[in-house]
Amino acid sequence: MKRLLIFACLALAAMAAPQQFQLNLDSVAAKASEHVDVSLNASTLQFAAKFLDANDPDEAKVKKLLVGIEGIYVRHFNFKSAGAWSQADLEPVRAQLHGPEWSKIVGTGSEDGEKAEVWLRTSGNKSVGVAIVATQPKEITVVNIAGNIDLETLSELGGHFGVPKVKPADKPKKEE
Amino acid sequence: MDWLEDELRRALAREDPPDGFAERVMARSARGPSGARRWLAAAAMVVVAAGAAGAWRQHQGYEAKREMMLALRLASTPINRIQSEVRGITQ
Repeated sequence: MKRLLIFACLALAAMAAPQQFQLNLDSVAAKASEHVDVSLNASTLQFAAKFLDANDPDEAKVKKLLVGIEGIYVRHFNFKSAGAWSQADLEPVRAQLHGPEWSKIVGTGSEDGEKAEVWLRTSGNKSVGVAIVATQPKEITVVNIAGNIDLETLSELGGHFGVPKVKPADKPKKEE
Repeated sequence: MDWLEDELRRALAREDPPDGFAERVMARSARGPSGARRWLAAAAMVVVAAGAAGAWRQHQGYEAKREMMLALRLASTPINRIQSEVRGITQ
């Protein structure tokens, strides 16, 4: 009976597959002019995947990408003016990513004020999640993808579904 | 033309219903629809409900797909940008 109870608890925990860090960005939301909040767990993703067209090469690519993903959690904020937010607003999120299970795999910054960091969550030798913190003077995007994701394929979505494909020469011009 | 008038008068003449006609009509209306009709109505309702449920499920599915595509679009943009910057540096 005890074993059954433990198994049921573990199964429930696995089914819930919560986001891997708290996207506690209420202070940022209060300053933003627009914000997007998307939380998709494994069952919603599976349900949504049924509506992807396997004959469409782009949607087939997304279907393939979703294999192994247990959840996608996104917070995206737009601001009316630069300086409406500060890096300190993101500290509650960054502090969680300094835990031992997370390791920063890449971080970029440009003179335009664009910054992007990608953190990988590992368990044993297996990657079990990704965190993305991307900022621009008037934009913040924080993403947590739980599960095993192929970043190369995710990047390839650039140029599809309205995603602008960024080339080195296409870098946005510095704001006046 | 008398024959025509006679024919018309005979055809349009007031005629009393047969005995018990009103009672039979009242009894039939009190019984309600027949069993077959009741089943037909129930089946029609089931078909309509199933159709509505299917349409609602499809609507939810497309809504979930739209949200998923939005999430992937927002996630892929910085990854794509990082990749292009890294390629720009290494080239």
